[in-house]
Amino acid sequence: MARMTMIEAVRSAMDVSMGRDDGVVVFGEDVGYFGGVFRATQGLQAKYGKTRCFDAPINESGILGVAIGMAAYGLKPCVEIQFADYMYPAYDQITQEAARIRYRSNGDFTCPIVVRMPTGGGIFGGQTHSQSPEALFTHVCGLKVVVPSNPYDAKGLLIAAIEDPDPVMFLEPKRLYNGPFDGHHERPVTPWSKHPLGEVPEGHYTIPIGKAEIRRPGGAVTVVAYGTMVHVALAAAEETGIDAEVIDLRSLLPLDLDTIVESVRKTGRCVVVHEATLTSGFGGEIAALVQEHCFYSLEAPVARVTGWDTPYPHAQEWDYFPGPARVGRALQDVMEG
Amino acid sequence: MNEVPHLSLHVPEPAVRPGGQPDFSNVKIAKAGAVPRPAVDVAPEEIRDLAYSIIRVLNREGEAVGPWAGLLSDEELLAGLRDMMKLRAFDARMLMAQRQGKTSFYMQHLGEEAVSCAFRKALSKGDMNFPTYRQAGLLIADGYPMVEMMNQIYSNEADPLRGRQLPIMYSSKAHGFFTISGNLATQYVQAVGWAMASAIRNDTKIAAAWIGDGSTAESDFHSALVFASTYKAPVILNIVNNQWAISTFQGIARGGSGTFAARGLGFGIPALRVDGNDYLAVHAVAKWAAERARRNLGPTLVEYVTYRVGAHSTSDDPSAYRPKTESEAWPLGDPVLRLKKHLILRGVWSEERHAQAEAEILDEVIAAQKEAERHGTLHAGGKPSVRDIFEGVYAEMPAHIRRQRQKAGF
Amino acid sequence: MGEFVIRMPDVGEGVAEAELVEWHVKPGDPVREDMVLAAVMTDKATVEIPSPVDGVVLWLGAEIGDTVAVKAPLLRIEIAGEGEAETPSPQRGEGARRADEGALPPAVTPLSSPPSEPPPSSGPAGPLLPAGEKGKEARPLASPAVRLRAQEAGVDLRQVAGSGPAGRISHDDLDRFLARGEEPAAMPAGLARRTGTEEIKVTGLRRRIAEKMRLAASRIPHITYVEEVDVTDLEELRATMNAARKPGQPKLTILPFLIRALVRTLAEQPGINATFDDEAGVVTRHAAVHVGIATQTPSGLTVPVVRHAEARTLWDAAAELARLAEAARNGTAAREELSGSTITITSLGALGGIVTTPIINHPEVAIVGVNKIATRPVWDGAQFIPRKIMNLSSSFDHRIVDGWDAAVFVQRVRALLETPALIFIEG
Repeated sequence: MARMTMIEAVRSAMDVSMGRDDGVVVFGEDVGYFGGVFRATQGLQAKYGKTRCFDAPINESGILGVAIGMAAYGLKPCVEIQFADYMYPAYDQITQEAARIRYRSNGDFTCPIVVRMPTGGGIFGGQTHSQSPEALFTHVCGLKVVVPSNPYDAKGLLIAAIEDPDPVMFLEPKRLYNGPFDGHHERPVTPWSKHPLGEVPEGHYTIPIGKAEIRRPGGAVTVVAYGTMVHVALAAAEETGIDAEVIDLRSLLPLDLDTIVESVRKTGRCVVVHEATLTSGFGGEIAALVQEHCFYSLEAPVARVTGWDTPYPHAQEWDYFPGPARVGRALQDVMEG
Repeated sequence: MNEVPHLSLHVPEPAVRPGGQPDFSNVKIAKAGAVPRPAVDVAPEEIRDLAYSIIRVLNREGEAVGPWAGLLSDEELLAGLRDMMKLRAFDARMLMAQRQGKTSFYMQHLGEEAVSCAFRKALSKGDMNFPTYRQAGLLIADGYPMVEMMNQIYSNEADPLRGRQLPIMYSSKAHGFFTISGNLATQYVQAVGWAMASAIRNDTKIAAAWIGDGSTAESDFHSALVFASTYKAPVILNIVNNQWAISTFQGIARGGSGTFAARGLGFGIPALRVDGNDYLAVHAVAKWAAERARRNLGPTLVEYVTYRVGAHSTSDDPSAYRPKTESEAWPLGDPVLRLKKHLILRGVWSEERHAQAEAEILDEVIAAQKEAERHGTLHAGGKPSVRDIFEGVYAEMPAHIRRQRQKAGF
Repeated sequence: MGEFVIRMPDVGEGVAEAELVEWHVKPGDPVREDMVLAAVMTDKATVEIPSPVDGVVLWLGAEIGDTVAVKAPLLRIEIAGEGEAETPSPQRGEGARRADEGALPPAVTPLSSPPSEPPPSSGPAGPLLPAGEKGKEARPLASPAVRLRAQEAGVDLRQVAGSGPAGRISHDDLDRFLARGEEPAAMPAGLARRTGTEEIKVTGLRRRIAEKMRLAASRIPHITYVEEVDVTDLEELRATMNAARKPGQPKLTILPFLIRALVRTLAEQPGINATFDDEAGVVTRHAAVHVGIATQTPSGLTVPVVRHAEARTLWDAAAELARLAEAARNGTAAREELSGSTITITSLGALGGIVTTPIINHPEVAIVGVNKIATRPVWDGAQFIPRKIMNLSSSFDHRIVDGWDAAVFVQRVRALLETPALIFIEG
């Protein structure tokens, strides 16, 4: 066991995978010699050589297209898109190629790739370094979508993603890289070294994609969250004193519906929290599934706490970010409803 | 005060439109045998002019001349002629089958048979093509069963792709044929990735990327050239310039660049232009590019100058946008007739044998068609199960798709 | 001779109609496969329509200049053999399932509102309710969980006062209402009046069954013929064979014997192993005997098919029956296994009753129903002796099968079952 930040955990996952399977290659913008703008690939080129970990041109569709070709050859590329906000040029390759190669060729060719991308705000990144585009991936059949909330999960899920036979979008909440940020931007950052989920095995282990985790058991209301919002929800539950059960989805696609349904049938109330914009966001999918599967258990309408339907602002970041106060209010409303 | 002239937008136009006299004076044809054959390790900047000329082997008389001639034996040439004839007969039957309502869609190769048929013979087993929809010659020339192709076209119960793909979007890893997307240009950069993987693994295999003149305008074309150039990927970057992108003439994609091949020069990629209707020239150039790739000398860009004699697809009617007789005026002739003439001149072929071969091939294609039709056609007979809709989205079916499959009743 | 209908093909990526611009043939003309019949023009292209068959043109479906919808008949061609053009593909055809006809259990939609309807309005001329009264008639506000509890308790939520925001009824309100011992609670235990109704939406397999039954019952004039079969000997034989069966062999039911008897009889009466396309007026007699077995599954009736029963031994047929029944019940039967029968057997097993009036599996022309075996006293001329008797209730399409032939058929099957050795004798 070692103390790791989420960045170190992600790096360790790639390190372990590259050591076990020489088909695993890592590339992206600035990831080679320099080790990535968030340092996730630091040291990997020195350790595995520059044909296993290298810099790519600033060309996201090229990075994805090349990764897909490598996967067709039989490698297991794990590529980095420097910010999730830069993913759009690659969207054609992701949605119409990576996601469908197995299907359209009836398994003749497959596409076992991982696309890592730092996601979400909270770092004063403005509209092009703060987006949460996960719903653009969950809408695409053939992809898997993973959003870890802590170092332990990040490593286990990333190794599972690299070993997965299908393309996995791996969204890393960049605000969680160094600590379990709960939305209280005015307070000092708590480091992962002071958090139990900062305890990470140094070797190989996996966390199954498609399994949620209950972070806080409770009986009054179910909070469905992922990524940074898991920590925000936990803070909101503590601060309001509401006996909330907080579910960390970890995987959005495939989704652990059973855990959600079991919890909502028990609590009768549900609040979904995400940082991404509201309309057509993943919270809408959760709300629909909850009413479909738990309707007669519901005591109140399903509530969503999300980013506003605007671009991510710069100066007004903390008025945009769905922090513990907003989540707490939603919990109170749902309890009254 | 200076008088500043008003701006005006330039929109390119083809030389002629329907009703006009076909005009290919813009296509500058080099004499057969005139273009030199450099060593494969030549520096790209030393052969810049090859991107503006046209490498040709067969002359007007049907003789094979010049430094690119002499690579293929009589037997190989006879087999090549047969491949092209087979592809042409296959196309004719499948076009008819579409008109008979047996499938929804078809795309033929008429006039472009030499490109894919001859190219395939320059590759080795294990190499991988990333084709577009007009390179079925890669499969035919590699001996892929026509029945399988037809099963795919008919989306019948024996369709290897289980009815999921538009007709002619074949896939065969075993025959070095990557699953066709139907999107344009995406496969071009994937081929570069495959080639990079082969190099990472210190393998001996090479990749071939395919694109049409129109799709070179896509940004994936640029991506492919950047990556191929940067990592010196062992890949052949093929551009099939058949003059027409559905109804849009090649000038819209080419813009002010002299040729499509010339696009490679800015990337430091050796770029060649070749007579796409000359089986010998296509093969020789492909062989040269393949050798470069295999000797780790990096990518080669090849533009095949040819002409799409047929419609873009069964949904298209070219008489709406180009003169009906334009194909007859195409200065590089017909690839089948040119090779036939050459073989007769070599004394290994005759009009009689050609007619006989044509009849044999037609019989072979019809026999394959009858066999495929026993497994059904798009609207009649056996078809893939509704269950197949849900299979294969992922390696393992997730719960939500299983629920949907059950909802569909399967 | 048969007839082949050529329909306007979809010549280009979803075109809905095309204009006929040229006929290359006229009625009476012979045509060869691949010969060009017509030219049609769409907004995308002008294309030639080649013939998929050899034959003689019977009828042209449009004049030059007419616009013809895709899939509309373009011309009819007389061909050798039986018509094929209208042969539906298996997926659409008889017994097949389609994606839009799912096999899920019917959706149960409990009514969330209480059953007793508000008094009928006295019509447009009637007095308008005062606003307050109107409010009382509106849907009460309550969460789904409260509604469910109220429904289970038989409480009309309009009778319950709500204390929440905008008069919403909470669980506490409901508890108070129940504690007051209002009407539902006052009912003697065990004899509670039930007032709810349950609407079960007919969907999926159930809907398909419903449609098929309606089709068969409305289109086919059935004649049903019931005969008693003495299966005492057959049951003895069956018991002996079951006792002596090898490991891995399935237990024999009566069905494989009946299948063998049908195969023998149908060889003599091929007109009963047939399908009838009443629109085309064509009866198709089948060389193969594909026996459909009407099977109850958790989601409803399906008909798995023992294919090529004529080529199966008794044990083989029994094994196939067992496999199909299992697959049908698990929902793992392939589409091909659930369609294409030429005659059907229906059996309700232990619930088989005395007589059934089975409905023919359209477009077949006969169905054989197996009733329950019962031991009955039979007068043998001197005394009553116990015999095992089973009725066969069989229906026939009276348009195709005359009563006489139906009776001959059943009598022949009966003879084989009563003297089971005959089933095994060749010729």
